[in-house]
Amino acid sequence: MNGLEHATPAVIALLLIALCSFYREFVRIQRGWQHTIRRIPGVDAIEGAVGRSAEQGRAVSFTTALTDVGPVLYACLGVLQSVAKRVAQYKLKLLVPQYSPEAMAVVEDSVREAYSEVGKSGLFDPESIMFLSSEQFAFASGYMGLMHREKPGAAFLFGSFAAESLVLSEAGQQVGARQVAASVSPEQVAFFICTCDYTLIGEELFGASAYLGRDPVQVATVAAQDRFKLLLVSLIAVGVLCATVIAFVPGLAWLRPLDLLSVGWEAIAQ
Amino acid sequence: MMQREGRDPRALALRVLTFLGGLYFFLYFITPESLIEQTSIKAAHESISNGFIAVGSMAIGLGIINILAAHGLKLIFAKKGWQFSLALLVGMFVMIGVTIAHWITTDRLSADIRRVQVIGDFAGRIVEDARSEPGRYKSFAPTGVLPPLQARVAALDQYGIETTHYLNLSGTSFTGDLALQELQSECVEGAKTLTDLLIKLRMRSWNNLDQEGEALLTSVSQQAARVASTYAIVRRKESARWLSSRLYDFLYNGLFNHLGASMFALLGVYIAAAAYRAFRIQSVESALMMTAALVVMLGQISFGKMLYSEMPAIRQWLLEVPNSAAFRAIRLGAGVAGLMLSIRMWLSIESRKGGGHK
Repeated sequence: MNGLEHATPAVIALLLIALCSFYREFVRIQRGWQHTIRRIPGVDAIEGAVGRSAEQGRAVSFTTALTDVGPVLYACLGVLQSVAKRVAQYKLKLLVPQYSPEAMAVVEDSVREAYSEVGKSGLFDPESIMFLSSEQFAFASGYMGLMHREKPGAAFLFGSFAAESLVLSEAGQQVGARQVAASVSPEQVAFFICTCDYTLIGEELFGASAYLGRDPVQVATVAAQDRFKLLLVSLIAVGVLCATVIAFVPGLAWLRPLDLLSVGWEAIAQ
Repeated sequence: MMQREGRDPRALALRVLTFLGGLYFFLYFITPESLIEQTSIKAAHESISNGFIAVGSMAIGLGIINILAAHGLKLIFAKKGWQFSLALLVGMFVMIGVTIAHWITTDRLSADIRRVQVIGDFAGRIVEDARSEPGRYKSFAPTGVLPPLQARVAALDQYGIETTHYLNLSGTSFTGDLALQELQSECVEGAKTLTDLLIKLRMRSWNNLDQEGEALLTSVSQQAARVASTYAIVRRKESARWLSSRLYDFLYNGLFNHLGASMFALLGVYIAAAAYRAFRIQSVESALMMTAALVVMLGQISFGKMLYSEMPAIRQWLLEVPNSAAFRAIRLGAGVAGLMLSIRMWLSIESRKGGGHK
């Protein structure tokens, strides 16, 4: 659907299904329905990494790297809040290097809120959220310098990454930090698997915040996305089945249900 | 669907604005393109989108204020690492100053070059308009109707003479390298020829456009285009010597870009280190990864083909089938998760406690 400027009828139908699915889960949560979220080792490791830093008396670093204000940043904020609360409880130093000035304001607010939620507002240091650069490699250079100066015990790399991913995670490796990474950029996942202790892949990043916070609304969002994904996977399975049948029986070429997704309004009007 | 949390008027206003902004883009997306084209929304959409970008760009000011606050305080109170803050602030102000100076000079330069280009464009346009029906409606003319040919030629003559006079004055320095001197002299000679052609314009009547008049205007247009292109090269070569350009070139192209390239070069070393770490076979997964990597590497080189002729085909299959499938699965999952989170952000649905972001 890359570059689709206007929705086709089938896309509108899918969007409506997504909205309904979200609404259904939200109503169920309000009525007290309890969902369970599968354990993800990488998410469990987040708590362990902060605990290890506390034992060693070392700082904790959390970066959202190239993530701009958007859904990915909001998913990262859930995890950041959870990390910030633990850091505040253990009275550790938190380092949150920033790339985007827009995201920085939201991140600062979020960390401040986390400190106040655990009653440690006095420990919040605005200087812990530092703007490094909005230039990719200048940011990477600043991050490396920070890692070598502060030598954190745990480093979390959550969000969108590009070519600088390996530079960031190698810097953490060099100072012996326990690293947990989560990226929605598939190209960078391999680099993180090589250099980090745990890697959350793709949508696990979105699930992590719900898993850590146990927030009902976030859990409802994860449940809705799973239902919707199930529908899409079913559509893919039907498409594969139809394509296979057509390959063997060319006479059944009309059997292309997924072509419906690209049929425009003009074709329907005719 | 909003919860009652929004009693704070500021938060409520933010939620309402978020909802309305999201609603506009949602409706624009689901409305059929044919319907959009029939209305004036299509034309307004770009301006609306630019408006959102303008709001976003205000964050640059926010970023600068943040830097000044964080590093300025560090400097004033001489906190640990104040030297780095000083270097950062000095660097920032120097770069801002140099960039603004460079922007002003290049802007003036473009305006100067455009001033000369206009002569050719104007003459060309007069010929083009005179060829078509006289007195017809023109949306770009202030009155809606084109002025008479005589008035337009007189305006061209006046503007052209003023501009070529300016060219003759500015082009007499004859400094710099030989190539530049040659270009400068060519520019001055071209301007003289253009002046002669413009003077010829005065010597004839312009009640209507005959063949001779059209040829003269076309010559003016072509000569002006030639002069404009030479003048542009001369001015750009001259501007490269200005202090603002040289400083900008040194700081941005010479220093900043090369520092970025050095950081990028580090990747090569890091990839080797990361590969070594990843390829220590400690589990079934790493063994699988190692085998796949080995096949892909061997499939890329002729030695692999020597070992087994089908190696490139296996490599291709690994990249196109399992690898692509995994990439698509990650993208699908992240895309669906992003969609659901976007719906939640659009409707500003948050819990009262825990995970509630402003």
